[in-house]
Amino acid sequence: MQLVRSWLNKITIERIQLELMNTAYGSGHASLSRLDPRCLLIWYLFFAIVPWFISNLTVLAGMFLMMVVTTILSRVTPFIILVLCLGLIGQVGWLFILSLFFGGDISSALPLLKLTLKLSVVSLASITVFSGMDPEKISDGLLALGMPAAFSFSLSYGYRILPVLFEEFRNVLLSYRLRGKAPEEPGVMYWRMAAYYLKLLVLSFFPLMLATAKRSRTTVEALETRGFSYGMKNPAAKKLKLAHLKVSTRDIMFLSGSAVYVSLLFWISGRL
Amino acid sequence: MANQSNLYTLTSSQKMMIFVLSMSLYGLSNMFTELIPALQLGPIELSVEYFAFIPLTLCMLFHPVYAAVGASVGEVIFGELMLGQFGGLGELEKFLTFSFAMYVAGRMVRDPLNRRQVGIAAMTGVIIHQLCSALVDIGKVWIGVEEFEAVPGLAPSVVIVEGVSFLNDVLFSGTLFALLPTLYLVPRLYGKIEPLLGIKPRVKSTKYESAGVITPKVVITGIVLAVVAFVAESLSETDWNFGEWDSGFEDRFGVGAIWLSLAAAAVIAAITIIIMRARAEKRSRNSGDAPHA
Repeated sequence: MQLVRSWLNKITIERIQLELMNTAYGSGHASLSRLDPRCLLIWYLFFAIVPWFISNLTVLAGMFLMMVVTTILSRVTPFIILVLCLGLIGQVGWLFILSLFFGGDISSALPLLKLTLKLSVVSLASITVFSGMDPEKISDGLLALGMPAAFSFSLSYGYRILPVLFEEFRNVLLSYRLRGKAPEEPGVMYWRMAAYYLKLLVLSFFPLMLATAKRSRTTVEALETRGFSYGMKNPAAKKLKLAHLKVSTRDIMFLSGSAVYVSLLFWISGRL
Repeated sequence: MANQSNLYTLTSSQKMMIFVLSMSLYGLSNMFTELIPALQLGPIELSVEYFAFIPLTLCMLFHPVYAAVGASVGEVIFGELMLGQFGGLGELEKFLTFSFAMYVAGRMVRDPLNRRQVGIAAMTGVIIHQLCSALVDIGKVWIGVEEFEAVPGLAPSVVIVEGVSFLNDVLFSGTLFALLPTLYLVPRLYGKIEPLLGIKPRVKSTKYESAGVITPKVVITGIVLAVVAFVAESLSETDWNFGEWDSGFEDRFGVGAIWLSLAAAAVIAAITIIIMRARAEKRSRNSGDAPHA
C-alpha cells in the first residue's frame, strides 16, 4: 500500500506537464532522431503492419526485443511507458480474467499472450518513431511521403501547442477551484470529490473553447501570412521545404540491419 | 439571391480554423481521459471513455465535416501517437466510425437553440459510434485469436465484456459526458464562438450543400465507411501465417512459405507507399497549373 501511495504521489499535474514538455522538445538528442524521417517512417510502416500477420511466438518475441532496444535508444520518458503498460493490461488483462471465470484455464493465456506481444510490438514501434523524433522532422517526413499538408502540420502543431494548452487549462481549473467550494465530506469511495472534479473538468472547457477559438484563428492567420495553403499546393515550394531531407549511409545501415535481423528471426523460427 | 446568402459557404482558412480548433480541444481532452482512472465494480467498469461533448458541440455549431475530421485527427495525434498507443492499421476503423458518428450528430441539428434536437442528436452520435466499435471489437477478437473456438469461455466473455462496455459508454459516459455538457454548452457558445473565427452563426434556414438530414448520400457513405473499417480491422488481426494456418503447408514448402508471407507483407507496404507518392505527385501536378484552385 505504501508503495502504491508513493507511486501515486509522483503523478501530479506538474509532473505530467514536465514530461509532456520533454516529449515535445527534448527528443532532438536521441541517437535515433538523427536518422532520416522518411526511412524511419517506412521502417515503422513495416513494424506496424507485419506483426498482425505473424503468429509465431519466436518471431514475435524477437521483434519485441528489438523494439525494446530501439525504444531505449529513443530515450522515451517513463511516463509514456507507464501509460502503455496500463493500456495493455486494460486491453488484455480483463479478457483473460473473464475467460478464467467462464471455465477456461491457464491455457487460454497463450493466445492472449500472442495478442499482447503483437500489440506491444506495434505500440513500441510507434513510441520509437513518434516520441523519439523531433516533431518537425516527422511532419516533414510525412509530407515527403505524400500525407496531406493539413495532417502533417497538425502533428507538429499538436506537439508544440499541447504544453501551452495544458498550462491554460490548469489556470482555468485553478480559478474555478478558487471561486467554487469543494464538498466538505468526501463521501463513500470519494464519489463526491470525484463528481466535483469531473464537473469542474467539464465546465473548464467552456472558457477554454473560446480561448482556443481565438488561438486557432491567430494560428491560421499566421499560417496564411506565410503562404501555407498556396505553398503546399505548389510543387516548387514543397520541394524547397523538403530539400533538407537526405538519405545517408547511416539510414541505409539502419534499414538493412533491421532487415537482416528480421530475416534471421524467420530463419531461426523455421529451423526450430 | 436571398436563397444564396443562406448557403453555408466557408473560405479555406475558415475550414482550417475549425479543423485546428476541434483538433486541439479534443486532443487535449483525450489526454485527460487516457489518464483518469476507471472505477471498477466487479466486471462493470465506470470509466470516462471520452469527452464526446467537445466534437458534438463543435459539429453542431460549425460545419460538421471539418469539426468531425479535426476531432478524429486530434485523437490520433494527442491520444495515440504522443502517448505511444497508436495501433497502426486498426486505428482506421476508430477514425472512420468516430468521424461518421459525429458528422451525423452535427447534421441532425437544424437549430442549435432547440434543446430537444441537440439532446437527441448528441445521444444518437454516441450510440452510433459505440455500436459500431463494439461490433468491430467482437469481430476483431473472433478472427484475431486463432484458437478462438478451442479456448473455453473466451467467446461468451468477449461478448459480455463488449456488451457491458457498450452499456457503460452509452448510459454512463454518454449521459454525463455527452448529453449534459452538450446541452449546457451549445446554447451558451452559440453566437459567441463563431465570431471569434470570423464566421456568421448558423440560423434555422442555413443550408449545407444538401438540405435534408438523412439523405441517401449520407446513408450510403456511412455503410461504405463501416464496411471498409471492418475489413481493415479484421484483416489486420487475421493470422495469415502459412506455417500455422495449415500444418501440411510448411512441410511441403518449408521455410519458403514464411518467406512468401514476408514478401507479401513487404509488397503491401511498398504498394502503399507507391500509391501515396503517385497520388501526391498527381495532386501537385494538377495544382501546379493553377496553384490557386
